[in-house]
Amino acid sequence: MPRTARTRSIHRAPLIPRWALIGGALVVALIGAYPYYGTNAYVLSLLGKFLCYAIFALSIDLIWGFTGILSLGQAVYFGIGAYFVALSLKMNYALEHPTRYGGKIPDFMEWNGLTELPGFMQPLLNTPLAVAGALIVPTLLAFLFGVITFKRHIYGVYCAVITLAEALILQDFIIEYQAYTGGFNGITDYGNYSGGPFLLFILAVTVIFFVVARALTHSRTGTVLKSIRDNDVRAEFMGYNVANYRIFVFCVSAFMAAAAGAMYAAWVGIISFLDAGPIYSIEAVIWTAVGGRGTIIGAFVGAFLVKGAEFFLSGTLAEWWQILVGGLFIFVVLVLRDGIVGTLVNWVRRRRGSLRAITEESDQKAHDLQVDWQPQGAPRPGEEVR
Amino acid sequence: MASLLEVKGLTTKVSGFTILNNLDFSIEENELRVLLGPNGAGKTTLICMVTGQFKPYAGSIRFAGSDITGWAPDDIFQAGISRKFQVPNLYETLSVFDNVMVSLKGRRRVFSTLFQRVNAQERDRIWEILEFIELADKANEPADALSHGERQWLELGMLIASDPKLLLLDEPTTGMTEQGKHKTAELIRKIAKSHTVLLVEHDMHIVRQIAERVTVLHQGQMLAEGPLSEVMNNETVREVYLGRGKFQ
Amino acid sequence: MMLQSIITQFLSGFSVVAILVIAALGLAVIFGVAGVINMAHGEFIMIGAYTAAVVGKLGGNTFIAIPVAFVVVGLLGLLIERGIIRWIYDRPLETLLATWGVGIILQTVVKLIFGPELYYVGGPKVLEGGFRLIGRLPFPWYRLFLIVMAILLLALVFVVIFKTNFGLKVRAVRRNRTMSGCLGIDTARVDMMIFVFGSGLAGIAGAILAPIKSVSTAMGFPYAVDSYMVLVLGGVGNLWGVLAGGGLIGEAETILSFIFNNVIGRLLVFLFIVIIIRVVPRGIFGYYERR
Repeated sequence: MPRTARTRSIHRAPLIPRWALIGGALVVALIGAYPYYGTNAYVLSLLGKFLCYAIFALSIDLIWGFTGILSLGQAVYFGIGAYFVALSLKMNYALEHPTRYGGKIPDFMEWNGLTELPGFMQPLLNTPLAVAGALIVPTLLAFLFGVITFKRHIYGVYCAVITLAEALILQDFIIEYQAYTGGFNGITDYGNYSGGPFLLFILAVTVIFFVVARALTHSRTGTVLKSIRDNDVRAEFMGYNVANYRIFVFCVSAFMAAAAGAMYAAWVGIISFLDAGPIYSIEAVIWTAVGGRGTIIGAFVGAFLVKGAEFFLSGTLAEWWQILVGGLFIFVVLVLRDGIVGTLVNWVRRRRGSLRAITEESDQKAHDLQVDWQPQGAPRPGEEVR
Repeated sequence: MASLLEVKGLTTKVSGFTILNNLDFSIEENELRVLLGPNGAGKTTLICMVTGQFKPYAGSIRFAGSDITGWAPDDIFQAGISRKFQVPNLYETLSVFDNVMVSLKGRRRVFSTLFQRVNAQERDRIWEILEFIELADKANEPADALSHGERQWLELGMLIASDPKLLLLDEPTTGMTEQGKHKTAELIRKIAKSHTVLLVEHDMHIVRQIAERVTVLHQGQMLAEGPLSEVMNNETVREVYLGRGKFQ
Repeated sequence: MMLQSIITQFLSGFSVVAILVIAALGLAVIFGVAGVINMAHGEFIMIGAYTAAVVGKLGGNTFIAIPVAFVVVGLLGLLIERGIIRWIYDRPLETLLATWGVGIILQTVVKLIFGPELYYVGGPKVLEGGFRLIGRLPFPWYRLFLIVMAILLLALVFVVIFKTNFGLKVRAVRRNRTMSGCLGIDTARVDMMIFVFGSGLAGIAGAILAPIKSVSTAMGFPYAVDSYMVLVLGGVGNLWGVLAGGGLIGEAETILSFIFNNVIGRLLVFLFIVIIIRVVPRGIFGYYERR
């Protein structure tokens, strides 16, 4: 029985499915227009922050959801990006606004006894240079880390624990060397960009990152990364240099995290060691898990949902919010394993799959009927028409 | 003419145990060789060595004229050797189609796969392979939804896609039904028409079905080699298989 | 002169080593057998310390607190193993996340019960004061107690693993899980018992370590991270690993912190660990790893 053409097709979603295009446009419009219709300045500041969180969660989805690398210290890259920009802005601000003692250096430097800007920090006065540094330094650091660990096939639990230690050490460094970093109090009171135009900028960068990430994971590279996640031994014996792929995606992820951190510092106007430490890193992992690993859009959903819930609930719930968060970790591992978006996608696929099976079946029946069906009076095969 | 694969004096020690002991072994191009031997003889270890999973203690491995001793697994793959594991090793969440697609010969480096999609020629090849292993109507299913037999065939399909010069198949019929085993044997025979195959197998029915030349390993060394009937009539081989003999 | 200082640091470093060994032992036991990392390990230690605080309030001292903490945290471990861990043994990375959540919950609950203030737990009166080592180095008796306890705990674990029936099953499961299952060993039960045992050890660690610094709900995290580093460096599944990891890290940290400062000391130790595991990816005493 001849097969229909349908059996030779595979179900491949388009690069950006229609629902994503429509939904995405709506969300972008909602967020982008807020400065013009919204009245709550706090909500406005949250929107900018959440977008940065979404990018950060995306960076984690790339390495964890798609490639299977659990890093508990991604905030290192976010934090370095943030500090580069914050320091630059702060130092420039201090030049314009001398302190009461007349010094033209940041207040925390003065408090710690410095009288002029340290030589090695002078280049940060050049903000474009600082931004470049904010992006390049973390990426290089990630490259170094990747070469050291992935080339020796150190991954899984060991990698997770090492990245955790890395974040903790950076955090300690920031607190210890407070003359240069603002220490425990962080860096505050600098000329930050918190208006509508900058929100649009962050929004544009977010959209670009998400589209690029989708294009990357929708292509062959994405399939290779997933194959490494599923069975790295098989991938290696099938000719893929697993270490190189891991290093590559780790660097891309670090770049994204650094960009998110840089924009965050410019938007929010206050950063501290918390933005570079292990707790923030692990938080972001949960946003990704809640939204859905390996789904790209799940990162956005998870970040907005969890942080949004925190905004609404943590005031009234106080300590109980933390218990909820802890429970969320457990819930996402035991129950909602594919996250919100992942579960939705599975559900839709199953329904579409069964729908397709039903339509295929009826198509086949119709085809069979057509083959057997002969109109009354029509010549039978072999009969001559007279 | 030099053999396609040439192993000389190969010795392997794992955790203090000597598994391969000064083994000499070779395969000619386009052969279908079956590797026999009782458990622990070193068959899987030999495959592990050839594919670069371990470094040998002593000895050398030459393939297609190059010395590949100590190479990394992905480099050995590029040289033209593909391996099938005893337990099917698949990409569980990927679809059947994607499992084969990602194994296609060609583009392995990071920047050569970046943003690439599958072109029409590759797509046809994948469908060809899927129909050869009779999994075409399950192309969209994730690999972990397949039955055990289907998983074995999928891995075979992945190996075919990688178009190697030498295929190392480690007990590909494990856990299959009788029917499945025969079908697998036929598949292997067809594959062997255009590739060199080294097959490790226990089931003597299968071996009789497709074997041309046979090598018997015992305690890390070659016990006998030759056409199947000849080897099976060898006294020492019979003793070893019946468990009474000890190789000197 | 500098050399003498370094030597005295080396000797006082023994107590740091002891602290690391005591803290890491519970984690090592669980990770070595069941392959899961308990991210709530720090909180287990913290609860052991709070137990000691309660015992102290009720008139007891450290010696009484130790077995009490073992039981309290051991039971807690049982609860968590049955409720959460036992479903996810095959997914070690996710165990990290789930146990991190448990840790958050534990911290918050303890804070709700005891409040956010710091507690001071004193050591037993008999161990107060100290003696002088090499002329000028003051060496508190409690530090010596730490060293003694580290050795005792190592010995205890050794005896349990190598001289008991239970330990025999544990070793069988660790070497070959499938085979042990075939031989009739209830591997799920072994996993559960070892988790309880490891949790209890963490509780003991908390009770012993409580007098060193003040007790607070966040005190456990640094100990936990240190324990992970001990396991990564020393290797898993082997008691020598705990000793080697703890010894190297403890001494390196003490000496380097003395020469530079605390933070640089930790950074150098971290780099040192990273370099070593480049050479031995599964730790110094980790089992042989195929490429």
